[in-house]
Amino acid sequence: MAGPVSLATVFPGLVWAMAALALVQVARRATLWRAGATAPVAWLDGLAKLPRRYLVDVHHVVARDAYASRMHAVVAGGLLAASVLTALAILPPLGGSAPYWILVALAFGVTAAGSLLVGARRYPRRTPRLSSGRFQILPVLLVAYALGGAVTSLALAAGGGCLLAPLALALAAAGGLGLAFEVRHGPMRHAAAGALHLVAHPRPGRFEGRPDTALQPLDLAAPRLGAAIPADFTWNRLLSYDACVSCGRCESACPAFAAGQPLNPKRLIQDLVAGLSPAEPAYAGTPYPGGREAAGARGPLARLIGPDARIHPDTLWSCTTCRACVEECPMMIEHVDAVVALRRHETLERGALPEKAVAPVTELRQAGDPGGRPLRARTDFAAGLDLPLIADRESADVLLWLGEGAYDLRYGRTLRALVRLLREAGVDFAVLGPEERDTGDLARRLGDEATFQDLARTNAATLARHRFRRIVTADPHALHALRNEYPAFGACYPVVHHTAFLLELVRDGRLNPGRLPDRAVTYHDPCYLARYNGETEAPRALLDAIGLTRIEMARSGRRAMCCGGGGGAPVSDVPGERRIPDLRMAQAAETGAGTVAVACPSCTAMLEGVTDRRAEIRDVAELLLEAVEAGR
Amino acid sequence: MTSVVLLSAGRHPVSGATVLPRLEAQAIRVATGLGEAVGLHAGPDADAVADALGHGLSRIVHVPVPAGADPVPALSARLAAMAPGLILAGRRGQGGDETGTVPYAVAEALGCLLIPDIVALAAGDAGAWSLDQTLGRGARRRVTLRGPVLATIHPDAPTPLPFAYGQARRGVIETVVGDPTAASAPVPAFEERPYRRRPKLVKGAPSGSSAADRLRAATGEAASGGGRLLVRPEPDAAAREILAHLRRIGVLAPPAREPR
Repeated sequence: MAGPVSLATVFPGLVWAMAALALVQVARRATLWRAGATAPVAWLDGLAKLPRRYLVDVHHVVARDAYASRMHAVVAGGLLAASVLTALAILPPLGGSAPYWILVALAFGVTAAGSLLVGARRYPRRTPRLSSGRFQILPVLLVAYALGGAVTSLALAAGGGCLLAPLALALAAAGGLGLAFEVRHGPMRHAAAGALHLVAHPRPGRFEGRPDTALQPLDLAAPRLGAAIPADFTWNRLLSYDACVSCGRCESACPAFAAGQPLNPKRLIQDLVAGLSPAEPAYAGTPYPGGREAAGARGPLARLIGPDARIHPDTLWSCTTCRACVEECPMMIEHVDAVVALRRHETLERGALPEKAVAPVTELRQAGDPGGRPLRARTDFAAGLDLPLIADRESADVLLWLGEGAYDLRYGRTLRALVRLLREAGVDFAVLGPEERDTGDLARRLGDEATFQDLARTNAATLARHRFRRIVTADPHALHALRNEYPAFGACYPVVHHTAFLLELVRDGRLNPGRLPDRAVTYHDPCYLARYNGETEAPRALLDAIGLTRIEMARSGRRAMCCGGGGGAPVSDVPGERRIPDLRMAQAAETGAGTVAVACPSCTAMLEGVTDRRAEIRDVAELLLEAVEAGR
Repeated sequence: MTSVVLLSAGRHPVSGATVLPRLEAQAIRVATGLGEAVGLHAGPDADAVADALGHGLSRIVHVPVPAGADPVPALSARLAAMAPGLILAGRRGQGGDETGTVPYAVAEALGCLLIPDIVALAAGDAGAWSLDQTLGRGARRRVTLRGPVLATIHPDAPTPLPFAYGQARRGVIETVVGDPTAASAPVPAFEERPYRRRPKLVKGAPSGSSAADRLRAATGEAASGGGRLLVRPEPDAAAREILAHLRRIGVLAPPAREPR
C-alpha cells in the first residue's frame, strides 16, 4: 500500500509517465510525416507566434460554436493546468504542501466539469456531425483522469491516509495513460498535431490578417506533378491532416455534401490520414454521400485516387473550391489545397479529367477561352456602347477586365450596366478587347496548371504592354487570379472589384443614385470575393446607399454558401441528389426578399438557372444603374 | 504489333493556333487501344505535333521536310521502312496546308488498302483487322480484312484522350532525316477557286403524304433504302450500273446521241 510520501511522488510521476508516453506516440506519428516531401518552415517564427495563432485565430473559428468554445476552454484549460501542476509537484516543497494539492484538486475538478461537457455532446446521443469510434471513449478517459486526479489530490491534501487513494490513483492512471496513448491514433492526436501544425502551417500568411488564398504555383519541371500518394504531399501538409479533430464543421458547410454529391471534406481529410498509415482505425463519421465504402491499399506509397482506391475521382471533382470547409475548420486545415494537389496529378500526369471538362480545358489551351469563342467577340455584348480599346490609346485610368461573363448574354446585361455607370461617372477606362485571354482560373482549379501558367504568362505580357493605373473587373474569379495569383507571374497591379469601385464613385459624388424604396433584397456573397478576398462590405454599402431593404441570409459574408459555380464543378457535373444552386435559392427564399443581388457571372448563371425561382437575380451594378436613372 | 498514326500540323478553327487536329487525337486513342503506337509527321518542325505526346503517344518520328513541300514521298518512304501493320490518319486535315488526299496518296504509294471513316478497330489473329466503318446517319459496316491497312478516322470515333502535360513532357520526338530526293518532290499543281456551296439535290416534296415521307424527302433517302445490291458483278456491269445511277440522280448528263 502506498504511503503518503510515495503517493506524492508516484502521482506526479504518473503525469511525467503520461508526458513520456505522449512523446513516444508523437514520435511514432512523426516517422510517418517524414515520408512527406520537404517544405520550408520558419520554425522560430512559428513557435514565437504559436500562442497568438492559437488564442486569436483558432479561437475566432472555434467561438462560432459557443458551446464547443466553452467546453474546450474548460476541458483543455483544466487538463493542461491540472497536469502541469501535478507534474511540478515532483518538487518536494510543493508535493508536501496541502494548499497546493487543493489547488491541483480544483484544476482536476474543472477538468471533470469539462469532461462532462464533452460527454454531453456524445451521450446519450451523438451530435450527428461528430465522429464516433475512438472519439466516443474520449469523455470516459477524461472523466477517469479528472476524477481520479481530483480524489488523489484531495487525499494528498488531507495527508494521504485515505483508503481510496490507491484506487483513485489507479483510475487516474488508466484515464491519463489512455489519453496519452490516444495521441497516436485517437482523438488526442489533434492536440499534439494541431499545435505543431500551427507552428509549421503551410500558409503562415493566414495568421497575418490577410487572405492567403492564392494557389501556389507548381514547378512544371518537377519529376512528378501533383499528388497521387501520401508521400507526394509535403510533410507539414501530412501533419496538418493529422490535426483533424473530426468535428464535422466542414461537412456542415460543404455545398457538395449538402447536395448529396460524393464529397465529405472531413472524410476526405480522414482518408488522407488513413491513406498514410495502415494502422489507422476505421473512420466512424458520416460517409461520402452515396455510401461508398473505403477501399484500396494504405501506406505512404499507396495510390489515393481511383475507382478502387480510397478516394473516388468523383469525390475529387465534386469540390467547388469554395473554401467553406477551410473557413470553418478550427484546426486551420487547407482542404482546397489538398483537392487541387490531387487534381493536378490526375490532370497533368494521367489526363484523367472528368469527361465533360475535357472540352473547356482543351479550348482554353488552344484558343484562350473555355468556350473556344473568338476573342474579338468578347466585346460583342457592348454593341452600340462604343467600348474604347486600350490598344487605340496611350493609357487609361482604369482597365476593365471583362472576363468570360462577357460572352454570356445574361451577364452581358450586367456589363452593359457597368459600362454605362462608368460613362455616367466620367471614368477614363478601356478594355483589352481581342488581346484579353481567359485568366485560366478554370484550368487551374481543374488541376491543369500548365495551361494556367501559359495563359498567365501571356496575359501578364499583354498587361505589361499597356499603361493603366488599375484593373476593375466584375468577375471575382478573374479578380482573384489577377490580384492574388498573377503576381507570381510578374503581373502586379491593383485589382478592384466592380462593387468596390462603384462604391468609391458613389462616395466621391461622381455617381448620384436615387433611391429604390420598398424593395427587399438579399445579397449572395461570391466565394471568390468574400472568402478568398475578404470583401463583403462594398456591395452591401452600395445596396444600402440606394435605399434597398437588405435582408441577410442565414449564411452570408465569409460564411456564405457557394452557388455551385466554382472550381470547374459545373463542367465536371458530378451527379448528386440535389443541385447546389437550388439549395442556395431556397435559402434566399427564406428571407422573403424579391431580389437576390449578385456580383459574379458564375453566381448569376447558377442562380438564374434554378427552376421555379420566385426571386429575380440582379447584379449590384444593374440595381445601381436603375437607382442612378431613377435619381435623374 | 506497332501501329503508326499520321500527324499533321492543324490550326484551331477559331484562334488559328497550331494544334493537333482532333481527328488525329482520336486516331491516337484508337491506335493506343490496340497496343504500341508511334506518331509520324513530315513537316518543317515537330513542335506543331508535339501535343500528340500528351494525348497518349510516347514516341513521334519526325521526318524534316521543307515548308510547303509535298510530304507524301517522305511519309511513304518512312512508312515503307517501318512496315507497320496498321496506319491511321484523320479523314481530313484541319486548317493547315492540305488537300485531304495525303492518306490516299500514301496508300497508293505503299500499295496498301485504305478504309475510310473508321469509328472502331479490333485486331484479329494473324494480321487480320476488323474495322467498323460509319456510313452516315448511324449506319455502320464491319469490314474484316487481312494484311497491312491504312484507315482514316471519322469524328464519330471515341473522343480523344485529354491532354496530359506530364506525359507530353516525357514523350520522345525522334528526327529521322529522310531520303533527300524523295523530300524534294515537287508539289502537284492545283487550282484555287473561291468556295461555293454545292447545290443540294431537292426532290419534289410529296405534298399530302405523311410527315415521315416529307421528312425523308427533305433529308434524302436512308443509306440502306433504294438502290440495287450487286454481289461481285463484272466490272463492265458495275460501271454501267454506276453510270445509270449517276444519270438517274442528275449528276451526269443523259447519254449523248449515238455517234454517227
